[in-house]
Amino acid sequence: MEKKGFEIRAMEYLKDALTAREKQSFEDLLEKDDSLNHQFLELKDTWELMDEVVVPEPTDQMDASFFDMLDEEIRLQKEPRGTLKGTMDNLLQWLLKPQLAYALLFLVLLSGYFMNFNRDSKPQVPQTVDNSETEQVREKLVLTLLEQSSANKRLEGVSEANKIGRVDEQVINALLRTLNKDPNVNVRLAAIESLTNYVGDPKVRQGLIQSIPNQESPIIQVTLANLMLALEERKSIEPFKQLLEKPELDTTVKKKIEKTIKSII
Amino acid sequence: MQQLTDNALMIKVKSGDLDKLGLLYERHKKRLFGFFYNLNHNPGLSEDLVQNVFVRMLKYRNSYSGEGSFVAWMFSMARNVRYDHYKKNGPLHTDLTQVEYKIEDDDTVDRQMDRKDNVSLIQRAMLKLEDEKREILVLSKFKEMKFSDIGNLLGCSEGAAKVKAHRALKELKGIVQEMQMI
Repeated sequence: MEKKGFEIRAMEYLKDALTAREKQSFEDLLEKDDSLNHQFLELKDTWELMDEVVVPEPTDQMDASFFDMLDEEIRLQKEPRGTLKGTMDNLLQWLLKPQLAYALLFLVLLSGYFMNFNRDSKPQVPQTVDNSETEQVREKLVLTLLEQSSANKRLEGVSEANKIGRVDEQVINALLRTLNKDPNVNVRLAAIESLTNYVGDPKVRQGLIQSIPNQESPIIQVTLANLMLALEERKSIEPFKQLLEKPELDTTVKKKIEKTIKSII
Repeated sequence: MQQLTDNALMIKVKSGDLDKLGLLYERHKKRLFGFFYNLNHNPGLSEDLVQNVFVRMLKYRNSYSGEGSFVAWMFSMARNVRYDHYKKNGPLHTDLTQVEYKIEDDDTVDRQMDRKDNVSLIQRAMLKLEDEKREILVLSKFKEMKFSDIGNLLGCSEGAAKVKAHRALKELKGIVQEMQMI
């Protein structure tokens, strides 16, 4: 083996970057050549000596500085204008609207509890009524939360939708509307995850496919590509092709979609 | 929920979900700190440089393409941060008496002394290496960094990166042997 070849193989061996066969072949070479074996063992000792240096743990101060910096960036991002009125409006919206929705849920659950309390002799029937009522209230809660101006509240809305056993058409429509119209990418992502629970429903599938050309966020485009690939949904090919025609499409996403189309075909 | 990859998280940061940078920080802070510490043996400075890397990630998040490994991209930021620091402040002279030793409780006294000697020896030897050689050896020690990534960082081929790493290690071996003879 020439010098350069030995140098390359030795480093690959030390870094554990060889296949079992390549490793064996290198060991055979060392066994046959005492000089190379000696050179390698000295290198290996030094390589292993480097591991003796123990890196101390970074202090909590490093974490504190980082999260202070990140919080400040997030704050600046959320409040680009920083007006007092805007801040107060947001605060009021946050305080009032979801609170009403929760109060409604609480009242109905409470009335459900008392109705159940009066029918002790038939525990199974009230339980069914309760579940059904709870689901109805939860659906109303989902619809209310999805209309909130706060992204966190809309995320809660999607999360509540996941707790419903069988959603009705209204909730499906609200989730599809969220997927297509919500300004926040995390909410749209959560809506896809939630809709994934109902892909057996042709309306849901159709809605997901129709949303493909409307999506501009790379993470959403990739998530939809992964979903369509998992479903082997051939009807998604045309919408993906429409997406590929957009000049602003991220190059990584473009490759991913091309690969997805090929796999589905 | 399925754990998001580093690339997916960074794409989220790029699209405005800055919270996700916190997850990337938790995943990689020790690795980055180790990178700087192994090069300068100064814990305080290493912490500052880690912070600077993440500040830079935020600042240049729109340049993230999602191609290649996130770790390689992160280390390219780390190298630039380090370069800028030394350009501004000049080379660092590390006082080796500040080096910390972590000794396991169940070590014997002899073993503790041997380890302390070894740590001191390799750290002094590393500091005698040229900066570029020290850097390639430190990078080679990270499992996540393939030689192809290191080659990209250094602007050379994968094969050239392996040869450079080998020659740096050989030089380090020579320095260690010399120091043992004194």
